[in-house]
Amino acid sequence: MTTLPREHLDAVEAVPRVLASTNTGSDRVFAYVARSTGATVLVITGGIGVFLAVQSVPTLKHYGLHFFTQTQWQPDADKLGIAAVLVGTLEVAMVAMAIAFPLALATALFISEYAPAKLRSTLISLVDLMAAVPSIIYGLWGFFLVEPHASEMALFLQRHFGFLPFFHIGADPNAAVWDRSRYTASAFCAGIAVAMMVLPMSCAVMRQVFSQTPDGEKEAALALGSTRWGMIRTVVIPFGRGGIIGGTMLGLGRALGETIAVLLIISPEFLIKPRILEIGTNTVSALIAGQFGEATGIQLSALLTAGFVLFIITLIVNTLAAIVVNRSRSGAGTDA
Amino acid sequence: MNRHLKCFSGALLALVVLTIGALSSAGPASAKNEYAQIEGSGSTWSQVILQQWISDVNPLGMQVTYNGSGSSQGRKDFANNVTDFGISEIPFQGTDPVTHQADTSNGRAYAYLPIVAGGTAFTYQLKVGGKLVRNLRLSGETLAKIFTLKITNWNDAAITADNNGHALPSLPITPVVRSDGSGTTAQFTRYLDTMYPSIWRPYNGQAGLTSQYPRKGREIAASGSDQVMNTIDGAAGNGTIGYVEYSYPLNAHYPVVKVENAAGYFVEPTQYNVAVALTQAQINQDQNSPDYLTQVLNGVYTYKDSRTYPLSSYSYMIIPTGAKDQRMTTAKRQTIADFLYYSLCQGQSKAGPYGYSPLPLNLVQAGFSQISKLKTADSAVDLTNRSVTSCNNPTFVAGHLSENHLAQVAPKPAACDKAGAGPCGFATGTGVPSTNTNQPTGSTTGTSAGTGTANTGTPGTPGAAPPGGSIDPATGVASGTGAVAGQAVTATPIELSASRTGDTSVFGWVAALELVGLVLIPGLYVAAMRRRSATGDST
Repeated sequence: MTTLPREHLDAVEAVPRVLASTNTGSDRVFAYVARSTGATVLVITGGIGVFLAVQSVPTLKHYGLHFFTQTQWQPDADKLGIAAVLVGTLEVAMVAMAIAFPLALATALFISEYAPAKLRSTLISLVDLMAAVPSIIYGLWGFFLVEPHASEMALFLQRHFGFLPFFHIGADPNAAVWDRSRYTASAFCAGIAVAMMVLPMSCAVMRQVFSQTPDGEKEAALALGSTRWGMIRTVVIPFGRGGIIGGTMLGLGRALGETIAVLLIISPEFLIKPRILEIGTNTVSALIAGQFGEATGIQLSALLTAGFVLFIITLIVNTLAAIVVNRSRSGAGTDA
Repeated sequence: MNRHLKCFSGALLALVVLTIGALSSAGPASAKNEYAQIEGSGSTWSQVILQQWISDVNPLGMQVTYNGSGSSQGRKDFANNVTDFGISEIPFQGTDPVTHQADTSNGRAYAYLPIVAGGTAFTYQLKVGGKLVRNLRLSGETLAKIFTLKITNWNDAAITADNNGHALPSLPITPVVRSDGSGTTAQFTRYLDTMYPSIWRPYNGQAGLTSQYPRKGREIAASGSDQVMNTIDGAAGNGTIGYVEYSYPLNAHYPVVKVENAAGYFVEPTQYNVAVALTQAQINQDQNSPDYLTQVLNGVYTYKDSRTYPLSSYSYMIIPTGAKDQRMTTAKRQTIADFLYYSLCQGQSKAGPYGYSPLPLNLVQAGFSQISKLKTADSAVDLTNRSVTSCNNPTFVAGHLSENHLAQVAPKPAACDKAGAGPCGFATGTGVPSTNTNQPTGSTTGTSAGTGTANTGTPGTPGAAPPGGSIDPATGVASGTGAVAGQAVTATPIELSASRTGDTSVFGWVAALELVGLVLIPGLYVAAMRRRSATGDST
């Protein structure tokens, strides 16, 4: 315990200096510009929300809450509902996150802790480059390159883990010639392509938070005899927990809205089905993209309502993610 | 290298000279008629050939833009005065059969005219002994039952009968349909609804055609003709069959189904088969009918000419005919008229190579009568020398309209393509119709060396691959062997009972035990040795 010299306490009581803060003209201009730019973003986002909300009024008036419980999408029979597509959207997003989360976490840890300093910037830009690839490219990649192998993977999963209800497929896994078309165009296949799209975003957020881990704490862990993995486990990951959760949720937000890659891969089906490996699923955004061109009247309104629901869900997920990420940056995660 | 460069620059110079020559010869015409840029949107079905025509007329001074956003969007854009013309497979529907929403021109005066013809083709992937079947034949009724899930296996008796007793292996049929609204779906369901209402209507739940195929059961839905084609020729495509415009299988080097016509012949939708069928297309002339000026294809579906491809149809161009149309000017009307004159006449000769079909005389005449409405609306439009008599269409001779030119150029189908005969070994999906002269014979097959080029199928050309031997588009190696020639590939379906769950689990356990052993035994052995030597040391 250090003690301060006594005489300092007897000195004149400290009075804070008054700061003159008159804004100059350029300051004011800057403040206005910054404020209005910020407001524009809000106005645009709010405008989208208001537009979608207004457009969805006729649908909700016509179908009421049945719109959320109806699985079928049959405009000719006046049956329109998003229960099946919402479940499909969640399934594709879950598959995507199940694949993207471990990959993103491992990539972020490798880049921030293990990679040689020379290689680090290259790796970072490579991961960022993944984010710049257009989603149609991922769609074609998923359709032509991944799907044939994914269907074999699905067969393997069905054979060995088919007792789990979500790995079940309505085809005989031991047939002499397996019914290959039943194993394609599924939520699983679409999820793989979507995973590659959300990976860079999740990875970037995680890596940034990991890189903010105080060096002192890391060195302290090493000084206490911890291995590098021990240091990561006890210091980096607890510190970056907020970033891990936030990055995952930001990725989830993107996975929910992914459109064209999903549209290319899936075979639309309007059923609530837990079987993620089996052919046929649909997502809200793929439904909108596929049906918009031919839609008129109530169907168009119903599509926009589906878009509104997706907008709300994505907004909630992203807002939660932003809150979690912001909290973690304060270093609050260290005491965990 | 230098010589090549010279060669190249020489060719370039020649090209420039030619272009200048062409421009200067076209000069007076474009000076006489003032053109303005016209914009259109609509069908993706006819987009490929339309883009070709647009680049063809560009040197003549006509600026045309086209956006392939789908038939329905094309009609919508036209109705909202967004475009100068629209292209659609189906006319304004009044009340749309699916959405019950009004689909009209919003009061804008318009006329329909035929623009591109083509056959709705059925392409499939079916492998027997690892080889693609390329000469499948199906009747219209069998197709209707396949796409309504009444026939679900390739060894169905109806399919065997269509192929003159040649059975296919037991394999579930997977129909591939469009997941988005499309004109191709409309063309196909119109045929189903007209010809096989008792099969189609219970499946669809209501009468009439639809742009959105009601997918059920085993059917796979894919968005866009491209994805339908990719699903069929993909890794999981064995056993699939889908409907697309003929140009798609042609480009993918995939076979198409020969569909039975009213004369009892199985034909492929090559260009002249569609043209022959469309000579029977009628145009509704009843001004009070809601379908005024639209195609009546009942005659096409049942035409008794042996060359007819029954699922032939054409898409419409929708042109504005109002004298006070808000978007139209004399220059724009002139551009539309001249663009159409090129499309209906000279442009039709490009239809065949692109997988479409040229429009026959009756439809070209109908087209010209609609073009004349542009002059009715605006007398300043110059239509002199733009008529059927000066038209360079491949299905008739400009000067001699009475001469049945099409009957001479359209080849008769082969005798083995008749129901109850054959089946012919001639491979489909090459753009060449199967005729008596180009059937593969036993002597020519097996000697074919891959030439690496697409099979042109010219009968009797020495060195050309026999039509029966299909050539792998990727490697250029002839993959078809004697099996395809003369006889259809057939096989006796046998299901092997190898590799059952019991086996895999037993072998799985054995493998796992071996793995554990492999990892543990050396370590245990070394440990045991060490212990022994340690005890040896201590004693």
